[in-house]
Amino acid sequence: MKLTLVESGGLAAGLRLGRPPLVLDLSTLPEADARELADLVSVARQAPAAAESSRRVPDEMSYTITVDDGEAQEALHRSDTTMSQGFAELVDRLHRLASSG
Amino acid sequence: MTEKRVLNCIVPPHILAKLLESSDAEIREAAMRTLLTTMRLQGEREVRATLLGRAAPAEGRRTVYDCRHSTFLPSAVLARSEDGASSGDDSVNRAFDGFGATRQFYLEIMGRNSIDDRGMRLDGYVHRGVDYNNAFWDGQEMVFGDGDGRIFSDFTGSLDVIGHELTHGVTEHTAGLEYHNQSGALNESMSDVMGCLVKQWTMRQTAEDADWLIGAEVFTPGFDGDALRSLKAPGTAYDNDTFGKDPQPDHMDGYLELPDTDEGDNGGVHLNSGIPNHAFYQAAVGIGGYAWEAAGHIWYESLRASTPTTDFQAFADTTVGKAGDLYGSSEQDAVRDAWDHVGISVSSGTARRRPPVSVPGGNGTTAEVARDMDQLLAQVERLRQDLHLPA
Repeated sequence: MKLTLVESGGLAAGLRLGRPPLVLDLSTLPEADARELADLVSVARQAPAAAESSRRVPDEMSYTITVDDGEAQEALHRSDTTMSQGFAELVDRLHRLASSG
Repeated sequence: MTEKRVLNCIVPPHILAKLLESSDAEIREAAMRTLLTTMRLQGEREVRATLLGRAAPAEGRRTVYDCRHSTFLPSAVLARSEDGASSGDDSVNRAFDGFGATRQFYLEIMGRNSIDDRGMRLDGYVHRGVDYNNAFWDGQEMVFGDGDGRIFSDFTGSLDVIGHELTHGVTEHTAGLEYHNQSGALNESMSDVMGCLVKQWTMRQTAEDADWLIGAEVFTPGFDGDALRSLKAPGTAYDNDTFGKDPQPDHMDGYLELPDTDEGDNGGVHLNSGIPNHAFYQAAVGIGGYAWEAAGHIWYESLRASTPTTDFQAFADTTVGKAGDLYGSSEQDAVRDAWDHVGISVSSGTARRRPPVSVPGGNGTTAEVARDMDQLLAQVERLRQDLHLPA
């Protein structure tokens, strides 16, 4: 399984624009990390995005995590105000694994 | 007894307006002197607040919550309230103090009672999430991240960032500028402008002396750059290998056509804001002195006169019109030159002509009365000049 995270918007939107996405191939990770990530993905998938307000929220960030299992791709799109705690945990874990890797 | 009356009794605005329009020079001057005396005693903005029937400060009560690194705001715990003791947590105190400075700026300088002009509570949430590199306004409260500690540090660190976020609330309650394309870039720009003004006012800096940077303090020393954005020189806030060069344009020639999507920053709202940002800087320096005085008032009143779909040209036209209404020809020229500098031309025919002063009536909304008061104060200023009275 391969995970791709694109972050955009926010107060520092200018710094994020055009930055390369964060990509993690689970097959390159230690088994425990890979299993944990896969679990977080299934939790994040199950929690739908909270209803967005009709107005855009100034300076909130948005996140697109693309889950590629080799056969199909699924994009999970959330924002600071619509994401579940599970989704937030997945974003956090992706950051940690990417910076340690 | 007589003196007490002068101190406490303020002539109702509709009567004052009639007196100031009187054909009898003596009556005009008497009305003028009454108003000036009161203004000198109490301060112009306070007189305005009193005329609008408002209570003095102490509204916009502040509460700061600690998210304890969760992204789920309802689980945050109370960390400091308006009447409570200060916290042992610097982030909490910085958010609290930043709210106070911004609230005071809007009250004293703009005559605005908190975000909604009706004393709206100011709620803040600090330590949101883990290593969260952002701060935002969600329509009800301000949310701050701690930063990742490598590039970004605590987002409560910059007073201009706090002023920026609260101004998103002010914009939502006034023009309601839609958060995409040019109206969105104006929305962002208004937040940058007022964020800078809150900081400059707090530090008593002139337009010439200020750094005009947004978010200089949200970075760690590990970041090779000055800030998130610069109003003085958009496009120069940073230039490094990790993030490249600050992409903000400072002129319409560099306007970035980006998709109206999350990935495209809703049509580049944080990028194209460089254009109106730089126009404000040029206007402030062109007029000189403190930017929160003439330039700040002109921009704020133009925001109040704007609509959700106002674009750069329409906003520029409004500011030139307001500069003439509220100040005079030299300020109007400075504002027109400022827009010209960023590639937006406002012909003298385009700028709105000064409307006749209407007499505030008893049935208008607060906003209408406030607008009438602005016109009245401008009229008073012209009259003061006619009569050669000291300011």
